[in-house]
Amino acid sequence: MNGTGGQPDTKSIAVEGLWRNNPIFKQVLGICSTLAVTNLVLNTAVMCVALIFTLSLSSATVSLLRTLTPRNIRMMVETLIIAFYVIIVDILLKAYWPEMSTNLGPYVGLIITNCIVMGRAEACGTSNPPGVAALDGCFNALGYTFILLIVATFREILGMGTFMGYAVPFFGSPAWDKWIIMVMPPGAFFMLAIVVWVFRSIQMAREEKTE
Amino acid sequence: MMREKRWFPILYMFLATAFFSSVVIGFTNVTRRRVEANAALAFEKAVVAVFPQLHEPGLSALEVHRRFTEQVTEPNPTSAGAYTFQENGQVAGYALPVAGQGFWAPIKGIIGIAADRKTVTGIAIYEQNETPGLGGEIAQPPFQQQFKGKTLASGDKLLAFRRPGEDLSQNEVHAVTGATQTSVRFEGIINEALKTWQVKLGKEGATQ
Repeated sequence: MNGTGGQPDTKSIAVEGLWRNNPIFKQVLGICSTLAVTNLVLNTAVMCVALIFTLSLSSATVSLLRTLTPRNIRMMVETLIIAFYVIIVDILLKAYWPEMSTNLGPYVGLIITNCIVMGRAEACGTSNPPGVAALDGCFNALGYTFILLIVATFREILGMGTFMGYAVPFFGSPAWDKWIIMVMPPGAFFMLAIVVWVFRSIQMAREEKTE
Repeated sequence: MMREKRWFPILYMFLATAFFSSVVIGFTNVTRRRVEANAALAFEKAVVAVFPQLHEPGLSALEVHRRFTEQVTEPNPTSAGAYTFQENGQVAGYALPVAGQGFWAPIKGIIGIAADRKTVTGIAIYEQNETPGLGGEIAQPPFQQQFKGKTLASGDKLLAFRRPGEDLSQNEVHAVTGATQTSVRFEGIINEALKTWQVKLGKEGATQ
């Protein structure tokens, strides 16, 4: 994890996942889904909840089995565990929220290949006790969530003039010529690049100060 | 130590897969009826949505199901595969199921046609997996509302898609921006189904 050995405390795990080692703007992992699901805030939020669930539990499960799993097949086992939780989420959505299930389409299933999940299982799950691994997974997912929500909020407001489906003052009125490109794939690249740039600049400025 | 044996990883993987698969299978079984009911309801909702006589915005799931079972007639030979809504024993509208391959996955929907067999009363999609925000827009109201009141042409294309922004004639609608593949395929699916339907209807009409 942080290489200092011993039990990392909750606060340092939180700081790592949310800020210092943020999966999106620092590690640049899981970008595919960041680009794909951020054109509507509601879809993004559900996707993020699914990721928080999957990431926390799969990291914890990988950690539970860490002393038992043979090294040479650990990746297979990790993929299996991740797929297991993702399918559970997928079934839950299909059964209890079919509209959202159709909205998200293939992307829920694609959490299986989200690099963050595998990355955290490998980096933290294989070498820490379940509690730590679950917390680490949860905070990394939250780090992913807040960046995605920022991206999605800008995309939906600029591109559709709405927020969570509700019209926003000014942007929802005819005075605002909707930037359709923002809800199309190129908009995701623009927004993500800007967000990464802004957050990295803040991070670098802070680091210089503390030095 | 058993862990050092060469067969241990195989056994381990086998047991892990068996365990997680069983849980998933069990879970699927528990929710199966719900998932199937949702799928059936999505279909019924699409059928009800294309009948202007039955459709109202914001109908509850139960009400949709009630209207479908009580007021929609199952397809029969004279409707050539379309569901019908009947008033005083007369067909007042058709709801024709259409299906075909989209860009990513099958697209399944319903086209509503008035009793004159020419005027489109609506379109609804109950299954699709096109890209959200792009091809997925075929399932959204702005795209679907274009179809209301269009008239089927008699020619190569009964309903045609035009590039967004172009002028439209009575049998044309605007395609989805940024989703050429989905649009082209969906246009094909609709026309294919409508042509087959018209041919079948014609035959039935001739034999009567």
